[in-house]
Amino acid sequence: MTEPRSPGMSSMPQTAPVHTESTSPAVEMDPVEYTLRKRLPRKLPKRRNDVYVNMKTDFRAQLARCQKLLEGGGHREICVHGLGLAINRAINIALQLQASSQGALQLAANTSTVELVDDLEPEDPDEAGEPMTRTRNNSAIHIKVFYPDPQ
Amino acid sequence: MQRGVRNMSAAKVKMREKKMRNQPSSVQYSASPRHVESSAQKNGGAAPVTGGGDGGPSGVHLNTERSKSPHPKGGWVRGHQRDGGDYAKEMPKHITAGAFATARASEVRTMLKATTKTTGSCHVFGALPKHMRRRAMSHNTKRLPCRLRDVANRMREKSLQASSKKKKEESKGKSRKARRQHGNLLLEFNRRQRKNKWLETHIWHAKRFHMVKKWGYCLGDRPTYKCYRSSYRAMSSHCLLQDLSYYCCIELQGEEEKLLASLSQLTSKEAGPTFAAALSLSGQRQGSVDVYRAGQYPMQPLGPVTFLWRPRAQGSTHRQLWIWAHPTIKPDLLPELQTVCQCCEAVLPPAAPAVIPTEGVSALEPEPKPEKTPESKQITGTKRKQTFKDASEPSEKKILGDGTRSPTTPVTWKSSSNGIVISDLTMEIVRYRLIGPQSHSVLVETMEAATDCDGMNTSQPSCLWWPEHCKNESKMNLHQQQADVFHLLKGVYSTGELPSGTVLGLTVDDPRLTLPTKKVKALPCVKQAQEVEEEKRRELMLRGAPAHCCQSSLWESSVRDNVTVNKISNKLLNHMRSELLVPGSRLSPTPLQGRVPILLVHQPGKQVGHEMTSWGAGWDLLLPKGWGMAFWVPLVYRGVRIGGLTMSLKHSQNKGAAHFPHDYPDCPAGARFQEEQEAQLLYEFKRYPPAKRNNYIKHGCLAPFCCPWQQLAEEWELILREGGEEREEDRLTQTSTKADAVMEVATPREDVTVTKPPSRVTVLRNKKSLRLLSGWCRPTTSKGQRARRSCGVLPLDRAAMALFLSAHGMSLVWVRLSLLSKGKPELHAMVCVPTAEDLMLCGGGPQEPPHRDHFKSPFRRQKKGSKAAAAASSLCSDKKEGKESDPAPASEPNSTAPEGPKSSLALPMGLWPDPLPSVTAHCSRVMLGWVTQGDFSLSSGRGEALGLVSVAGLLNTLFNQPAERRGTLLLRNPASLHYRVAKVNLEV
Repeated sequence: MTEPRSPGMSSMPQTAPVHTESTSPAVEMDPVEYTLRKRLPRKLPKRRNDVYVNMKTDFRAQLARCQKLLEGGGHREICVHGLGLAINRAINIALQLQASSQGALQLAANTSTVELVDDLEPEDPDEAGEPMTRTRNNSAIHIKVFYPDPQ
Repeated sequence: MQRGVRNMSAAKVKMREKKMRNQPSSVQYSASPRHVESSAQKNGGAAPVTGGGDGGPSGVHLNTERSKSPHPKGGWVRGHQRDGGDYAKEMPKHITAGAFATARASEVRTMLKATTKTTGSCHVFGALPKHMRRRAMSHNTKRLPCRLRDVANRMREKSLQASSKKKKEESKGKSRKARRQHGNLLLEFNRRQRKNKWLETHIWHAKRFHMVKKWGYCLGDRPTYKCYRSSYRAMSSHCLLQDLSYYCCIELQGEEEKLLASLSQLTSKEAGPTFAAALSLSGQRQGSVDVYRAGQYPMQPLGPVTFLWRPRAQGSTHRQLWIWAHPTIKPDLLPELQTVCQCCEAVLPPAAPAVIPTEGVSALEPEPKPEKTPESKQITGTKRKQTFKDASEPSEKKILGDGTRSPTTPVTWKSSSNGIVISDLTMEIVRYRLIGPQSHSVLVETMEAATDCDGMNTSQPSCLWWPEHCKNESKMNLHQQQADVFHLLKGVYSTGELPSGTVLGLTVDDPRLTLPTKKVKALPCVKQAQEVEEEKRRELMLRGAPAHCCQSSLWESSVRDNVTVNKISNKLLNHMRSELLVPGSRLSPTPLQGRVPILLVHQPGKQVGHEMTSWGAGWDLLLPKGWGMAFWVPLVYRGVRIGGLTMSLKHSQNKGAAHFPHDYPDCPAGARFQEEQEAQLLYEFKRYPPAKRNNYIKHGCLAPFCCPWQQLAEEWELILREGGEEREEDRLTQTSTKADAVMEVATPREDVTVTKPPSRVTVLRNKKSLRLLSGWCRPTTSKGQRARRSCGVLPLDRAAMALFLSAHGMSLVWVRLSLLSKGKPELHAMVCVPTAEDLMLCGGGPQEPPHRDHFKSPFRRQKKGSKAAAAASSLCSDKKEGKESDPAPASEPNSTAPEGPKSSLALPMGLWPDPLPSVTAHCSRVMLGWVTQGDFSLSSGRGEALGLVSVAGLLNTLFNQPAERRGTLLLRNPASLHYRVAKVNLEV
């Protein structure tokens, strides 16, 4: 929360964050305190067969959702997307799907990098303290789970 | 038989009078046999009435009477009379036939009348026993038995005639056609909004919403159709639209430093960014602050406002600031602003810029306009209306109005010392709020950046603002840039991706021109844009609109007036469209009047907490007045949902934000709201039959309708002080007996109640303190980041707690409570401290033992017994109460439930009479505070509540809880005995 990391590689603020007002004696980490506020990752239009995996929902529920799409939903293929910490879980779900289908399903994985935006708001609401925005990158995985076309 | 004379009692007299009521005046019955003689004389002298005519045919009446009573006697006297037997003496010797007959005639008439007249209810159905009555018998007489049908038919016809006659009488002189004529209709509308002003979308809303009269306006509360879930879905996945034009806008103009110096008195840096925050000051972002009375920072808050600075003009320090406030804040805020800015001279408004309407308005119109003062503008008297009836005048007047000030007050104030001008722009600007991730796509689809006036002869001066605007090269450049930014919005997927509070100024075409023929749902079209576009979009997402793009002509009052006056009427526009060659195609060239300056302001969504970030983000659309409906209908045609006041409450509830004025009990407006709410809830409570009401005393709920915050804070301060004293005493001696402690407690409590008014309770808004408290609220051993974060703050120990309490001991703090298991928190649910066993207990949560209603039994006794006994009992119970009221936290509920004074006769059963006993120690669990909003939260799938708790109580609780279970509280609804376990979240 209170770590003013050096503004990232593609940081926007030009104003150098050098403010000398010492705010609270309790925290001697840095002269400037910022609150880090993460924005949501940029969303893309979602088809019905896209599944975005997160870490809050129960694993079994997400797995059941994918199975439902493949079996009941009539989709030949679904895409499982995972970002950051959820990559593990996305892979896990895809493998579980494949295992439970007795080899009928195939996987095709792609990785990508997603740009995320953080807002840094100065804790001391001074006239000079300017909110900053920075970007950072995170990895993502997109796994296509599909029934191969019968030749 | 001879039983002695009984004097006629009062009841008998009454009965007799009743009997005699319908008798003809010529016939008199003696009251007692003693008067027989005299009465006989009076009675025409012809024949003695009593006992007379026993064989005669005319004496029917008396004959029947006598046949009932075996002993004929004089008069209609009940019971046996002593001298009833001596009638033989009075027997007449002869009868004069003529006189006798006339004397009887009236009697007979009365009798006949009495036999024909039905007694009791004249309704036919009254004659039927209950089990034979059928539904809709009055409607269909065939459901009646035959014998009653005729009567019923007759009655029905009669009633039909009567009602038709009545209707005819009621109807006014004007025919429907006359009443529905445009001018007359507007007159009627003006009359109806004399007390509560209408928004521009009023008629649209009135057709679809339950309207409420609030804050001087008529506002839509909730739609008449089912919409709870669909509105939530709209907010979380598409777009919900609200009309927020009732918000009041106050404009401040002056030098930047002077404005900031004045306004800094109203705010404090400790409570977050102020008016001087860098980004807001540049005009790029909207800001929000909590305003206090001048120089009173921790005390006397007024309420939250949002504000918007106009971007700096080059080389000028003159600034313009809009402060948007809820209408209930305005009466307090405006005088405060005038004080800090030293603006006390009311300025007569400058002559309105002479704008010449170009269409459809009679030539006489512009003449009276310039010298019209706002006073005269706002008079909605019918007399004046009559004079202007025929022109388009009323239609324009309808949009001038303001519910928060009387028509005669000035709207502009000027300061002689520092040159600041305050003007009240209420109802001058229409404000719509779009909530939801797709709100920008709705906006993009609805509006198009204004086309420049191509091909028109730009040389000659025009009365419209747009051609003038077009002449200026730099302004057109700016317009182009703004239009580019607006187009970039198309590439954004969710509104929450943009930086919160971004402002974008724009000029758009009349949206009525592009109205689709059918309702279509606006959807985003995100494509892989080209490199340049992508780069720009990234820039927008990171930093918002560039500073110069926040400029808009909406800031200029002259442009606003021009646009308002020159709006093309719907009728004219439709006429123009009907003349198009291809039906449904766009009107071209766009009429010159159809350019409107607007401002788009991004509204941040959920900012606190870790879940559902940026939920409920959206855009606010600011328009010049008069254009409300022109934008409203096109927006509705893009498939948005419309919400009312209820939905804005739900919006802030799901956002986890406090809603004004519901959750601000320390502000004057909030206090007023609580009073109104209490009266309303009590009224609703009393409308139930007594047997169906909740007995809140039995449920151990002291205050189901209002929350005595002051008492709560005081009691908690006392508890902590007592705890501290006891500890010290334990350390020093060990001699303090319990009785002493009780005595000690009892005395300061009296003092506190005496000195109640000055020390007012406040809500803690100090950011730093809140952050500290928030860190303490979390369980320390929870996984991952949270634990690491909270170790940055001070550990919760006695010293830190004492320090914190010395600063904010009397404060309240907002907390969000999420239930861990089942349950739906309701309004004014109690937040309580769990005991150690409750923490061990997992699952449902503990139960409150039912309380006894001590008011019920004396109430009954009083009914039977004399009043003196009741008074005595109340006296002794008063004494008892004085002894018993010990605010010790852990005591048996039944013993602590004291018998208060018996003034409950005025109050309905089941409510505590006014001097409440100790609120904290009333139940088996110690009370911390109350819930102000609570519901099942669709976003988290659990019951969630926003409540206020005492800081002292919360800290004490947290301190006593084991570190791994820290922040667990109990929640109990007013009409329930079941405690639910809830988790405290305090998010900053």
